[in-house]
Amino acid sequence: MSVRVNPDLREELMGFGGDDVSACMNCGNCTAICPLSKDSTVFPRKAIRYMQLGMKDHLFRSPEPWLCYYCGECSDTCPRDANPGETMMAARRYLTSLYDWTGLSKRLYLSAAWELGLLLFVALIVGALFLFLHGPLVRDHVELTTFAPTAWVELGDWILAAMLSFFLLTNAYRMSRAILGGEKVPLSLGLREFKTLLIHGVTQKRWQECESPTRWLKHLLLVTAYATMLLMVVVFLRWFQTDEIRSIWHPTRLLGYYATAILLYVTADAMISRLRKREQIHKHSDLTDWMFLILLFLTTLTGIFVHAFRLADWPMPTYIIYVIHLMIAVPMLVIEVPFGKWAHLLYRPLAVYLTTVRDKMKAAPAGTQASAG
Amino acid sequence: MSRKGSGELRSGGSGGNGGPRVGVYICHCGGNISDVVAVEHVVEAVRKLPCVVIARRHMFMCSDPGQNLVLEDVVNEKLDRVVVAACSPTLHELTFRDTLRRAGLNPYLYEHANIREQVSWASKSDPEGATDKAIRLVAAAVAKACRLRPLEPLRVGASRRVAVIGGGIAGLRSALDLASQGLAVALLERSPFFGGRAAQLDQVFPTSDRASDLLAELMAKASVDPNISLYTGAEVASTSGYIGNFHMKVTLHPRGVREGITPDQARAAIEACPETAASEFDYGLARRKAIYQPCPDCHPPLPAIDWETCTRCGKCAEAAGEGAIALEAPAREIDLDVGAIVLATGFDPYEPRTGEYGYGEHGVVTLPQFIRMLNERGPTAGRLTVDGRPVRNIAFIHCVGSRQVDGIHAPGPDGKVNDYCSRVCCTATLQAAKEVRDRFPDVNVFDFYQDIRTYGRGHETYYEDTSKQGVLFFRWTADAPPVVEAATGDPDAALVVKVKDTLTWGEEVEVPADLVVLSTGIMPRDIGSLVEMLKLPRGADRFLQEVHPKLRPVELAVGGVFLAGTCQGPMDITESAAAASAAAVKASALLAKGHIELDPFVAGVDEALCTGGVGCNSVCVEECGAQHAISLVERREGGETRLVAEVNRAVCGGCGMCVAVCPSRAIQVEGWRLDQFESMVDALLTVEG
Repeated sequence: MSVRVNPDLREELMGFGGDDVSACMNCGNCTAICPLSKDSTVFPRKAIRYMQLGMKDHLFRSPEPWLCYYCGECSDTCPRDANPGETMMAARRYLTSLYDWTGLSKRLYLSAAWELGLLLFVALIVGALFLFLHGPLVRDHVELTTFAPTAWVELGDWILAAMLSFFLLTNAYRMSRAILGGEKVPLSLGLREFKTLLIHGVTQKRWQECESPTRWLKHLLLVTAYATMLLMVVVFLRWFQTDEIRSIWHPTRLLGYYATAILLYVTADAMISRLRKREQIHKHSDLTDWMFLILLFLTTLTGIFVHAFRLADWPMPTYIIYVIHLMIAVPMLVIEVPFGKWAHLLYRPLAVYLTTVRDKMKAAPAGTQASAG
Repeated sequence: MSRKGSGELRSGGSGGNGGPRVGVYICHCGGNISDVVAVEHVVEAVRKLPCVVIARRHMFMCSDPGQNLVLEDVVNEKLDRVVVAACSPTLHELTFRDTLRRAGLNPYLYEHANIREQVSWASKSDPEGATDKAIRLVAAAVAKACRLRPLEPLRVGASRRVAVIGGGIAGLRSALDLASQGLAVALLERSPFFGGRAAQLDQVFPTSDRASDLLAELMAKASVDPNISLYTGAEVASTSGYIGNFHMKVTLHPRGVREGITPDQARAAIEACPETAASEFDYGLARRKAIYQPCPDCHPPLPAIDWETCTRCGKCAEAAGEGAIALEAPAREIDLDVGAIVLATGFDPYEPRTGEYGYGEHGVVTLPQFIRMLNERGPTAGRLTVDGRPVRNIAFIHCVGSRQVDGIHAPGPDGKVNDYCSRVCCTATLQAAKEVRDRFPDVNVFDFYQDIRTYGRGHETYYEDTSKQGVLFFRWTADAPPVVEAATGDPDAALVVKVKDTLTWGEEVEVPADLVVLSTGIMPRDIGSLVEMLKLPRGADRFLQEVHPKLRPVELAVGGVFLAGTCQGPMDITESAAAASAAAVKASALLAKGHIELDPFVAGVDEALCTGGVGCNSVCVEECGAQHAISLVERREGGETRLVAEVNRAVCGGCGMCVAVCPSRAIQVEGWRLDQFESMVDALLTVEG
């Protein structure tokens, strides 16, 4: 059964940043130069070809875009200036929208009004919740746990985490079905390879195979900082958010400073790099790329203010900046994690996991035959 | 060093006291020869040969010091024969003949022995055998040299007029360049209109200018050039003669329309004509009348009558009024004496067979037809429609009738497939695709290719531009070409093109198509009788074949006949024009002096020995393939008349067949006389290493 070519898809892909798909002449230089492309997972050319021909179903089934870490060598080498690196980025955005069964992701990627409007909407809900439900305002000294009782915030945390996990996991389920092509994975294999998911999720170690490991290192630091903060504000909030001023050597303070410093440095560094446009990975910036960085940077910055005002013992500024902090952090998580760029924290290791499982399933019957013969 | 004028070259002695004085020179060829052949040994052996005055060796005989060695020895040692043993004579025989000329010696007193290609390169593993063979070959050359006679080049008069056959862009270019050299040119166009295939094109790569503008410029110059005579309806009926002196009979078919006809009269005549035929100018996409003008700016801007369609009903003459139409004008024959012939006979586009890629279905056209469709003055007035419906999807298929593979493609009527690449169709297709995307941005364009061969300057731009303009490319291989099918019930288009796309890992993909355009290749045109009349050599691809693709790229083996443009093989306009200019230069160089010098290696008759038999006469044309060079003439001797053979030295190719059949050794080829051969054989067999 032949596949009907759909030239109109290219127009849709332009909304996701795939502007240069047409310029590709399929020479394959990008794939030849790519340090990560393997025989079983060929990229970037394959995904680009699917995008060119509008082969949506084939693209939907492709894990390759998630295996690319955008070192940009392909774009440097491309004889047609077709930006294969950025095209892979566009493919990731497009795939994120395809995995998302709610359709929200697509709207957010294709419309700035939706993206900004929804962020604002969630921010206003958070603001309104505090406006109407905040605890007593202690004005002579900072008492944040009275203004925002930890148990309530914790409850909010868990509700949020459950919601986001629900959307993210259901989307990831759709991704898995697509990549495995409906094939059943033997449970033992699925469990045995689960370590792949964890290892790659935590370390992104394939990235080291790219030409320059600096960006991998920066990203790895960011991951540790992000994970630290997430654990502290979601799982260990009752230890993290206290009114007691602890010794500077207290683990929560040390961890907090570590995470904050890295978050601040890496987000600022990325924003400057995106403004300078020197490296391929930062030459092209979508609104969603900017929002991702700006929101994370502002979350960190407002977090620092909360901490500083608390140390300075300024009650009202502390409460206000705390609300602002959450009005930035919560929408960021709600929008970006299941529907936007942050979904990659699951999709990337999942793609590695799924391709490993898939390859082993393909290899297994062949091996059996060989031993039988 | 004494240097004599070219008029007083020494003829060398022979016999007598001095006997021939031969100088022998062995070349090392920088090791090419001396690494295998013991050259000093050869020198020693050769020195002992009779007549050899001096024998030397040198690292590079063809170098200036090497040639100076010969120059000095000829003067100081009074040499009158020279033998150089070196590479193949095709490379340096002429070099050393010229050295002799400069030394004041007749250049034909030279003999060349090939001890590189025939010895050192061929016998690397056997140095001893190689040395022995070299000695024998050199000895044979010396033996022949002793019997060489001084010769003079043949000189034949030449007409300073050239016939250019074919009035397309190459013929026009050639005619103008020849005329600019002061040569008279007869430009012979078989059809009633000049312009050839270029007239049927629209925009042409790589500059996207209009072919009609290019032609208009050339025609404007050609029509006012006093050296150029333009003939339409001109068909070569016969040719005879030889280089410098061709005689042609040309039939001029009547146009049927008088020169002075006004545009109004022409229009009235065309309107009145009741007969129609498929328009060859529009490749059958439209019909035209029996009296017709293919396009408004045709050259000349007059209608012509297609005599095969015309019933001579007289309605056109009636409508056009008195004296405008000449239905009964007879064909005329003219005689042309020309010194050279330039062939600019052009090509024919490949005609796909019915069913080949859906050809014959509505919506399947060839690229030449599609180019007519794109033309605003073409059969569809520049609109893209099929059966009145607008076209939304176009599929181009490359290599139709080109790069065919035996066993996959059906052979043509002559049993051969076109295995060559037609070269121009890739860029022409992309040029058309670009025009579609420029003019009709809503039309999807799909391109099915084997390889994109946009080889020329500026051609690749079309590939890149069309790609960036959204043309989608699919790649196929000869064993799995695209398939064009009717798409029944398809809402998108009437046709569908399917292909195993190698760019998509062999996956079968399909596109909808309202119009399928077959990029047909360039076919050698059937110029039937011309090939016979002029004995034109053709390559395996059936195009006319030059003597040497690099060294003599526009010359034919038939002296005085030159190639301009696509009669030689697929070319674009740029290349055709370059070839046409090259042919013009070669023809003008040939005719510049009014006479032509030819090598004297032709047959000569010793009338005393000739018995007037017919052997030589009958083998002449049959075996050599040249014009008939030998005829029998009557000689009166003491009241008796007898027949003797006479050689037309300008026509003789020096093949030697006549020598072989002559029972009385009366006919011999100069430079290869029988006594020379015999002495060579003797030397080969007797010399000791």
